[in-house]
Amino acid sequence: MHRYSFVLYRPLQLIPVLFGISVLSFVLVKSIPGDPVRMLLGTKATPEAVARIRALYGLDEPLFMQYFYFLKNLGIGEMGQSILYKTPVLPLIADRVAPTLFLVIGSVLLTLLIAVPLASVAATWRGRAVDHAIRAFTTAGLGFPAFWLGIMLIILFSVKLGLFPVAGYGETVIDKLHHMILPCLTVALALSAVVTRNLRASMIAELASDHATAARAKGLSESWIFRRHILPNSLIPAINLLAINVGWLIGGSVVVETVFSLPGMGQLLVRAIFTRDYMVVQGVTLVFACATVLLNFIADVLTVAADPRVKL
Amino acid sequence: MKGKLKYGLILAGALAILAGDITIAAAEGVLTIGRREDGTTMDPIKTAQNVDFWVFSNMYDVLVRVDKTGTKLEPGLAESWTVSEDQLTYTFKLREAKFSDGSPITAGDAAWNLLRIRDHKESLWGATYSVIKDAVAEDDKTLVVTLNQPTASFLSTLAMPGVSILSKKATEADEAGLSDHPVSSGAFIMKEWRRGDTVVLERNPHFWEADRVSLDGIQWISVPDDNTRVLKLQAGELDCGIFIPFSRIAELKQDANLNVLLDPSTREDHLLINHEHPPLDKKEVRQALDLAIDEQAIVDTVTFGVGTVANSYIPAGALYYHKDNLVRPFDPAKAKEMLAAAGVSDLTLQYNVEAGNEVDEQTAVLIQQQAAQAGITINIMKIDPAAGWDELVAGNYDISVNYWTNDIIDPDQKTTFVLGHDTNMNYMTRYKNDAVKELVEKARVEFDPAKREQMYIDLQKMAKEDVNWIDLYYSPYRNACRKNIEAFYQNPLGRFFMEDTKKM
Repeated sequence: MHRYSFVLYRPLQLIPVLFGISVLSFVLVKSIPGDPVRMLLGTKATPEAVARIRALYGLDEPLFMQYFYFLKNLGIGEMGQSILYKTPVLPLIADRVAPTLFLVIGSVLLTLLIAVPLASVAATWRGRAVDHAIRAFTTAGLGFPAFWLGIMLIILFSVKLGLFPVAGYGETVIDKLHHMILPCLTVALALSAVVTRNLRASMIAELASDHATAARAKGLSESWIFRRHILPNSLIPAINLLAINVGWLIGGSVVVETVFSLPGMGQLLVRAIFTRDYMVVQGVTLVFACATVLLNFIADVLTVAADPRVKL
Repeated sequence: MKGKLKYGLILAGALAILAGDITIAAAEGVLTIGRREDGTTMDPIKTAQNVDFWVFSNMYDVLVRVDKTGTKLEPGLAESWTVSEDQLTYTFKLREAKFSDGSPITAGDAAWNLLRIRDHKESLWGATYSVIKDAVAEDDKTLVVTLNQPTASFLSTLAMPGVSILSKKATEADEAGLSDHPVSSGAFIMKEWRRGDTVVLERNPHFWEADRVSLDGIQWISVPDDNTRVLKLQAGELDCGIFIPFSRIAELKQDANLNVLLDPSTREDHLLINHEHPPLDKKEVRQALDLAIDEQAIVDTVTFGVGTVANSYIPAGALYYHKDNLVRPFDPAKAKEMLAAAGVSDLTLQYNVEAGNEVDEQTAVLIQQQAAQAGITINIMKIDPAAGWDELVAGNYDISVNYWTNDIIDPDQKTTFVLGHDTNMNYMTRYKNDAVKELVEKARVEFDPAKREQMYIDLQKMAKEDVNWIDLYYSPYRNACRKNIEAFYQNPLGRFFMEDTKKM
């Protein structure tokens, strides 16, 4: 079989995964107590109005029927109606994709920009003061929660130094880029801590490997060896590590989007959960699940491309 | 080397652009307001939420408006009105006014809106307007409304944003599209709504009071995180911020760039009591509980002194508020005595509190400590907000903190809900007193203001005597604006007078 043949059959795995996720998200969101109609109508609503609006959204039907309607809607490419916004769910989500995508991609790029130089320095000068300093940074990066780190970055860079906007998404492309730097940095500081540690460890292993020794014996310079042998070989596990962390990244977007008031899917999800806007919760969960599966798939393709030995 | 230089230049250029002074101020004359949550609809009859109403009141006009003090009605789209001798027929004279699409606002539109909020299957306000028997346009400018029974509060219900005047023609043509391109009868038109994020309003040139409006537009921006919203305001990215946390008010008052605005509201926080759970069915036990709570300490600690102790279910400053109503002092020793006299020992109560609501959680802990001094044990149960109200409806609580804000200036709405209502079990307290209920009904149909006022004073005294719930505190709206914003004002019912607001 060809090395890349998994590209053809892997997408088929998506079907059972998505079915499982749709059942799970439906059951979970329905099993937490709470009522979207109560949230919508407020505390002054009469029981009659509550019953009428519940019926309007089919919430008085048996659970399996509600799930059946949900699947039926999916079949025709719809995700039902948001109870809170009284509008179809799909366009609601579509409007939110860009900021979240921007946040995730920007964070990953920024993570690599931070992690690769740090890990290289730490691995090259292993055991020296600079290595200890970098390890201290990674420990700190893991320890700070995003909601606190975000606010601290805002206070320093936006309020005190006036370099970046406090929060929001911006209007033009440049404006958006400008708005996204701090949120991406908030995510990247935590993520780069993980990546730096792993990258440093694999670089140290590679530096001591036979092929590196052989290269040194041939008289090649250390910097050449590092760029051509050590770095590419150490990056392969880092790609997988990033892919594993995509779920974490998307989860983190929920917090970061709230702190920086980015109109992304995470923020949409938070409010939907609080107001029990069932269709929106299910819709966003499905989109997140698809994204996670897709990004893992891309990571696999990249690994196969980067390492001729790998077969999937 | 050349390649590196090129990339270096590009990077430097990009950084220069990014780090340059890009304080993104909205266009001149556009007021940006940061609030916690975005609205949910542009159709006034389909919501009961303040976040929606506060936008509507500057987008749609109503027949009758509430004035700036929140205690009087003044003409809106109706320039005058007369009431028949039997209080059953109201005749409104509409002024010359146009919708934002240039078409005239007629009595036919007004009649259609009144019947729509009464009958529409998605209307949340059907019960409030079921008193309307019929609404008919006698001619283009004359609206006649007949009622099923005389109702003293009827005029004030016409000022509620739920019964905003929409264009009959435009709404009937495309009701689903109402939230995307509404036709407005008020000071501003909605240009864009990014759901969950921003509502963009623009000045309506066809508004009948267009001369009064100075702003070019308004942007309602959702900034869910309280800290971020305050920081955005301090950095000048917002002109105004609303829902400023109690804890930040003293600090923002020191900020030379900001004005902190604490406009009086009708918000009253109170402690619901489940009268069906013995021994809370005994009046003496409820009175003892009131004695065991130190409201002033709650005001000082939880609201940082911004609130004031509440002595009545009618908010201070509102119509018929009885300022001399009883305030029970904090007296744990006497509370203990009263409990013993009522034959109650080891009183243990379940206190439901909304999880994640900082103010309510602090209040609960404080009350728990205070009541302990009177020998009352309180078990705090944190419940998710979406589930909390269901628990109250089901009666799965002994006490629980809650709040109320008035939608109309007349006290009838709240009084009925908390003292004279059967279907909602008197706001879930299960409070029952037939004498009170009878008086609530009488006050509703009393048209002599002096007599009516006396009835509401009696009701406030009776409610306090019975301890239908425990009044905790009144609190103002908590807004802050940059110094260049003038006349940013919210009346006690929450209406912003954006037609007067100026951005210098």
